Amino acid sequence: MSGAALVELTIDGKRVAVPAGTSVFDAARLNGIAIPTLCHQQNETPVGVCRLCVVDVNARVFTASCVRPAEPGMVVNTASEKVQRARRTLLEMLMADHLSPCARQQHSGDCELETLAKQAGIAEPRYAKRNASRGKDNSSVSIAVDFDACILCDRCIRGCGEIRENFVLGRMGKGGTAGIAFDDNEPMGESSCVSCGECMVSCPTGALTNRGVTATALGSGPDVQQVSPERLQELPVFKGVSGTFLSLNRGAVVQRRFRAGDVICSEGEYGSTAFYILDGKARVSISTPMAHVKTQGALKKFIGKLSSGLAQRQQDRREEEADQRWIPIDAPVDLNYDNPVAELGPDDLFGEMTCMSLYPRSATVRAETDCTTLEMLRNVLDIMQRNKTFRAQLDKSYRRRALDSHLRSVPVFAELTDDFIASLRESVELVRYSPGQVICKQGDPAEAFYLVRIGFVKVSQAHPGGEIVLAYLSRGDYFGETGLLLGDVRTATCTALDHVEVVRIGADDFRRMIEQFPVIRQKLEAVEQERALMNRQRLSVLHSVPLDSFLAQGLMEAQSLLLLDLNSCTRCDACVRACADAHDGITRLVREGLRFDHYLVATSCRQCLDPLCMVGCPVGSIRRRNSLEVIIEDWCIGCGLCAENCPYGNINLHPFNVTVDDPERPGRKKAVMKQKATSCDLCKDFAEPSCVYACPHDAARRVDPRRFFAGLLGQAPGIARKV
Amino acid sequence: MHIDHTHRKWFTASLVIFGVATAVYVPYAAHSPGGPRGGSTIGLAFGIIGSAFMAFAGLLSARKNVPVWRLGRAQSWMRGHLWLGLLSLPLTFYHAGFRLGGPLTSVLLWLLIIVVASGVFGAVIQHYLPRVMTLQVPGETIFEQIDHVREQLVAEADRLVDGAETAEGTRRDKAGGGVSLAMQSEVAVDEAAALRNFYAREMRAFLTSGGKRHPVLSDADTARSAFEGLRTLLPAELHEMTQRLGAICEEERQLRRESRIHHWLHGWLMMHIPLSFALLLLGCVHAITALRY
Repeated sequence: MSGAALVELTIDGKRVAVPAGTSVFDAARLNGIAIPTLCHQQNETPVGVCRLCVVDVNARVFTASCVRPAEPGMVVNTASEKVQRARRTLLEMLMADHLSPCARQQHSGDCELETLAKQAGIAEPRYAKRNASRGKDNSSVSIAVDFDACILCDRCIRGCGEIRENFVLGRMGKGGTAGIAFDDNEPMGESSCVSCGECMVSCPTGALTNRGVTATALGSGPDVQQVSPERLQELPVFKGVSGTFLSLNRGAVVQRRFRAGDVICSEGEYGSTAFYILDGKARVSISTPMAHVKTQGALKKFIGKLSSGLAQRQQDRREEEADQRWIPIDAPVDLNYDNPVAELGPDDLFGEMTCMSLYPRSATVRAETDCTTLEMLRNVLDIMQRNKTFRAQLDKSYRRRALDSHLRSVPVFAELTDDFIASLRESVELVRYSPGQVICKQGDPAEAFYLVRIGFVKVSQAHPGGEIVLAYLSRGDYFGETGLLLGDVRTATCTALDHVEVVRIGADDFRRMIEQFPVIRQKLEAVEQERALMNRQRLSVLHSVPLDSFLAQGLMEAQSLLLLDLNSCTRCDACVRACADAHDGITRLVREGLRFDHYLVATSCRQCLDPLCMVGCPVGSIRRRNSLEVIIEDWCIGCGLCAENCPYGNINLHPFNVTVDDPERPGRKKAVMKQKATSCDLCKDFAEPSCVYACPHDAARRVDPRRFFAGLLGQAPGIARKV
Repeated sequence: MHIDHTHRKWFTASLVIFGVATAVYVPYAAHSPGGPRGGSTIGLAFGIIGSAFMAFAGLLSARKNVPVWRLGRAQSWMRGHLWLGLLSLPLTFYHAGFRLGGPLTSVLLWLLIIVVASGVFGAVIQHYLPRVMTLQVPGETIFEQIDHVREQLVAEADRLVDGAETAEGTRRDKAGGGVSLAMQSEVAVDEAAALRNFYAREMRAFLTSGGKRHPVLSDADTARSAFEGLRTLLPAELHEMTQRLGAICEEERQLRRESRIHHWLHGWLMMHIPLSFALLLLGCVHAITALRY
């Protein structure tokens, strides 16, 4: 206090002296006199909104002590009967607008408002309770927002802005509609909130509470070590992460040690965690054979049992086979088709898609040396991904290691030189999108080209009558070139289906690329023309077919249906037996499904225009050929997600006995069962699918539904015929 | 199998073969001293051709066992089975000269008549019944799954009925008004009792009787009346549940109908196939004995 002028005043009959500029509230506090408050916190600028700290200074009106500076000779009464009556009224008014008991009061009994109300002897306020709920916001993975418990004290706003300098929270509305808002009144989980937890810590009520750790336990054991928040904050990647958050989420991140040779995660397994390597090296690979399912025995035209086997690309080249050399996985590297093995080291993060979107593990990761990792749940990964330090590190790692192979993995960009990629390395932007977020909108100016790094993107166009889905894109796919090539606006809307990260190449870099590499321009233009043709075909289908029960059953999505004429079918199951015979006893057809007119739409791959089976494949192995037929590539890991996603149950998993290296006995092999996804392949090696060929009653047929049902749907007659 | 215009070629060919055979038989029969005999050249020819047609018809079973072998479409084999099998009857009669002959040949002829008659019966059944099934069983499932579906219906009905008391109890609690909880429960149980009793006495027996006829619920009209009567005894909150139980009964009726039609569609094969094999076997015996001895 030395050096500052002192102000003398009287508080509750006690003479005190405080430095000039001290508020009456602090003056009382420094002298052991407590004044109740709700909106004031010591580490925040006082704003005097709750008025609970009012004191009587013998003026015309009471004054809010937190914002009123102490004045010389001031006589302050903090607890007179009138002051206490005023406070009581204020508390009743606040309680009338506060959902009681709020979450905080229920869990820890320390809601500041309800505590003060109880101390003041307020059981039920005299004023009418609010009759319309202000709602909740549970979009954030770590913080729950209950607007009904909010008393608009603004502590969270000041915590977010003044203390953390994130400036996400603000006020919105007026009067009865006033409230707190995140960014432009967006859901918290979609705003720029970094989930530091400061607002939650600042909140005096249960308006902002911790959602807590999810139910998934990260296990225990000698190789698992709980990590204290203090220890985590010592790690460079956790720099800037709120210690409060880490304390409240203790157990959501653990340290795991793996000995050389230990499997960290296996391809195809479902999980909910991501791994960050602190030290050591790990080997990431796909152990499922690089081969697709092929029906064999067709050369023996008359006799000989058909069987299903595995064939590699070199042995069985399929029409429009992908020339893809790189297999996209859920790690900062892609795997080479010819040798699907890569190395991960310190500061590498893998398992993001599994953690954020609960996809199956895309590859097997085995410790090459003794390894220490952090295994974390989604709420921690979410915070890490929003943390500037961590993001910068991930970006740097991606640019150094994966950008090159990622760009080259796209066949169109195979000609890019090392110099050009080096020049792109620092100018590209890695951008994240939350599920449902629009990346670019139809009609907006085209300003960038995008390469999908993780996640799935839906490409759609708006038309009278609704939205038409044109494609689903996954890692390695790209979009945005049409608008840039044509120098026009976006022709479609691209939306993140799950947690998506894209590599954004600005328009200038894109133009530089196509000027420097005319071959790329030609390839992009060719792809653009194919897509435009496909889209036109698709749209012509939509405009020509009336939408009734045909549409309701999704039949319009199908390009090829297996129909059973129920007026001819004797239900003998010869078709099912034939399909099973043609595929090693595993049928790809079920004589069950929806009906349209007197036809049964059997459960068999429909070659949908909107292939939901493609969404979520962790290795991008189920895709569409240029002929719009769905193809399953050699690197299918047999996780079964496509089978789950197909709404018609048309994908099956076919088990195969294969021999693989035995990791526990080097140099030796062991037999294991591996699965590959299969769907109807139309018995390509024969002139006719086996199910149709084997039907004795001419009831089974493969048709193009739009043509076959054209007559029934009132279209031009004479079109309905077998395809 | 739908016998429609797509059979025209087979029909025409069969008619031609029959016409030619008849044109050969009539003068042959008229001018044969002692009448037409199976052992004569023409008689033998008729016998061989007739047997060949029967053998081809019999190979359909074998063909169906190798559905993937590219030996001609199953549909062609089926049509051949139908028309050539039918033709084998007049040709065999022409071979036999319309005489029964000895015990073996008598048995053979009668077997042939029964097999062809059962085949024609089956063809008619398989022409009409699929359409009947399509119309009358909109909720059709795979025949082998009927028992499993039935179990699911029973489980769903049990759940609905168990939930009825709880729902009624909740309604009463909300109505409240100073009535004690114990009394409220008693009232709830009483009002759901009608539903519970109906379910226990009538509906569950219907669902679990394995297809046996039920005096009330087997018929859609009497079932509808029964459920309407039940609704009058129940509070409004339970009407939707009653409707769902009614829908479950309708599904069971459809399963029963499907089962019946399925047996008609395929049951005749239990006679047709074994008799066909017996016919072929005895035919071989007859051929060997007749030619050798």
